[in-house]
Amino acid sequence: MANSIAEEPLSKKSSELPGWSRFNWAGLPGKVVDTLSSLRLAISLFIALAILSTIGTIIQQGETPEFYIKEYGEPMYGWFQTFGFTDVYAQTWFRAVLGLLIVNSLTCFYKRFPGIWRSMRQSNIAVPPTFIEGLKQHVEVPLKSDSGKVAEEMIDILGGRGYRVSASRAKDNISVFATKGIMGRVGAHVAHVSAAIIVLGGLIGSVAGFRDFGIGLPGETYYIPQGDFSLKVEKFWMDYYENGAIKSYNSTLTVVDKGQEKFTKTISVNDPLVYNDIWLYQSSYGDHWDKVDKARVMITEKGSENVVGDVMLDWGEPLRVPDIDLGLRVTGFAADFAFDSETKQVSSKTSEHKNPAVQITITEVDKTFNPWFFVDFPGIIDIPDSSYAFEIVGYLPSKYTGLQMGHNPGITIVWTGCLLIVVGMSLSSFVFHRRLWVNIQKDGDNSKLYIGGNTHKGQIDFSREFATLTDRIRHIG
Amino acid sequence: MFTSLFLFDLTFWLYLAAVGLYIGYVALGRTRVQVAGAGTGNISTSDYSAPVGQLATMITFVGVFVNTLALGTRAYERYQLTGTFAPWSNQFEAMAFVAWSIIVGYLILEFKYGIKAIGAFVVSIGFIAMGAASLLPYRYQTAEPLVPALNSYWIYIHVSVTLTSYAAFAMAGGLGVMYLLKERAELNGNTSSLTSAFPSLETIDELGYKAITIGFPLLAFGIILGAMWANYAWGGYWSWDPKETWSLIVWLIYGAYIHARMTRGWGGHRAAIYAIFGFLMVIFCFWGVNFLLSGLHAYA
Repeated sequence: MANSIAEEPLSKKSSELPGWSRFNWAGLPGKVVDTLSSLRLAISLFIALAILSTIGTIIQQGETPEFYIKEYGEPMYGWFQTFGFTDVYAQTWFRAVLGLLIVNSLTCFYKRFPGIWRSMRQSNIAVPPTFIEGLKQHVEVPLKSDSGKVAEEMIDILGGRGYRVSASRAKDNISVFATKGIMGRVGAHVAHVSAAIIVLGGLIGSVAGFRDFGIGLPGETYYIPQGDFSLKVEKFWMDYYENGAIKSYNSTLTVVDKGQEKFTKTISVNDPLVYNDIWLYQSSYGDHWDKVDKARVMITEKGSENVVGDVMLDWGEPLRVPDIDLGLRVTGFAADFAFDSETKQVSSKTSEHKNPAVQITITEVDKTFNPWFFVDFPGIIDIPDSSYAFEIVGYLPSKYTGLQMGHNPGITIVWTGCLLIVVGMSLSSFVFHRRLWVNIQKDGDNSKLYIGGNTHKGQIDFSREFATLTDRIRHIG
Repeated sequence: MFTSLFLFDLTFWLYLAAVGLYIGYVALGRTRVQVAGAGTGNISTSDYSAPVGQLATMITFVGVFVNTLALGTRAYERYQLTGTFAPWSNQFEAMAFVAWSIIVGYLILEFKYGIKAIGAFVVSIGFIAMGAASLLPYRYQTAEPLVPALNSYWIYIHVSVTLTSYAAFAMAGGLGVMYLLKERAELNGNTSSLTSAFPSLETIDELGYKAITIGFPLLAFGIILGAMWANYAWGGYWSWDPKETWSLIVWLIYGAYIHARMTRGWGGHRAAIYAIFGFLMVIFCFWGVNFLLSGLHAYA
């Protein structure tokens, strides 16, 4: 045998090499950059992100399991949980697509911007007439003027229309190059980088920031640990339009820092308070569950069933009922009455006014009673030793304020990115890079002009501009 | 209230007349091949297309003038009733404002490029927008005071900018339809069809592209203004509520369009279909989200 496997020559034809050695490893980084910066990837990612985002609008996000089971059934809810459809935008796969889009836009910048930057600085002034004739817009114009004079007027005309003009002189011709709107090419790159800035700001905000919600009872002070200051809720009130609709709800808050009252501000929706980089928003309001502002009590004489009194009581304020020896004072309230038989304490089961009950301290002649009356069940509470029957006709709930609190360290970055992206997109949409080349051939005392130009966007407008320019040029001399 | 409602009504009829006239202009503009005795064909257009076209433009001007009056009157009425004066504060007003933007945008386009045939496709969308607004039940049409969350100067900028972007996308959608019709006529070799009055496919395509390049940054700006507003009102600039998410979806869809235009094979035909599809998404974002999906943003 001439050749055994052990003696095979070292150099082989590439087709005889095993597959993985044929692969051009050295070119891999380049290929990766190419793919990552490709337009097709961008298009696919835009569409993918759009489709995935749709899911979160069809399936309500962040609801309770009971809600989903009721709406979709238990097996479907199981699928939702597996895929994370109940919290789409926080899922890793969603964020991965978004992240890939940012990588895509940054790689595009990395790959293509240096070229744009370079071409912004250098320009090919002198081009042969054949190049000009190859341009989409081109025309030949003979002029009865000396080429030098033509060049001077040309530069004037083009400069007057906002172009940056340069010229170079050769033995028998003069070349003029005019360019305008190069920033239009930069626009897309600015937009790409800004997108990354926005996402970065968002990331910082979600990692290093926080959002919280709290209830503020008027008169109370609350310590905000994240900001190391306290907030005193001075007052909360609501304003109404003439037709009864709610116009605004407002809280007067005082910031107390290390025992010192710093300032007081009234906040309302769209008008938050800021201190130590913590923002406090008027978010909502609600009905207090263990306090009322007023209660209206109807007093009926037992036996005769005559109404002897219909009084409005203020919380905690004693009131003497006229004509009879009766004193009333509201001393307790529970929005959803619950009674603990061990501690003998009344409390509110929930914050909702499902079974409201008012406690009234009754002073009758020389007796005192402290019963609880149920608003929805009048008449079931009877005080045997009293001559009267009491009914809570209605009550005015005390309102508490709902405050949203937040801190977002990334927000300045986000707004910067937003400003830049609008600038970049506008440049890209409204500023077009146009270039004109003119080759002025000497023809004795006359000239022969080759004029041509192109634009990277906006062909119709440019063709009109080109026609206007050549018209002006025809009238030179 | 009734003054503005009357003026909005009048706008509807004027836009209807304008659409009829533009369609008439297109119909009359079809080239007719007349065969003379010797077998040669003479191509002629009807004598009436030009004056009909001019009348169409005039009626459109009157219509948009009345539309402006209507919006201005509504702004004044709102101010008297509620203290705010943005005439795009509910679904009805927003639709009327979009119609106004579309017509204004169209008139600028017609003034700049002189192509009246586009009127049949774009003014019709403005008319449909105004019509849809008129079909809303009366309780949606009146000016009610704003809920606290909307009661802010942000409504003047965020809403108007976003609605104007919708108008731009509407124009692109109309131009997309125009493109497809002309393309089909050309493929069938139909030289005497309605589409003969249309400009070239290249022109229609480029104008549609231009409309999207205007709408796209406007929408971005509108979304960003909305985020800024949310930050002041709700304590977070992005909460993925259906409206926010859908406006982002629309933005992503047009972002894909912008990038696709730079690749081969995405010119003319595909771009036209895409522009129509994008506009349908805009309609869902504008209208569908308010009525079909719930969330913080359901301000019909």
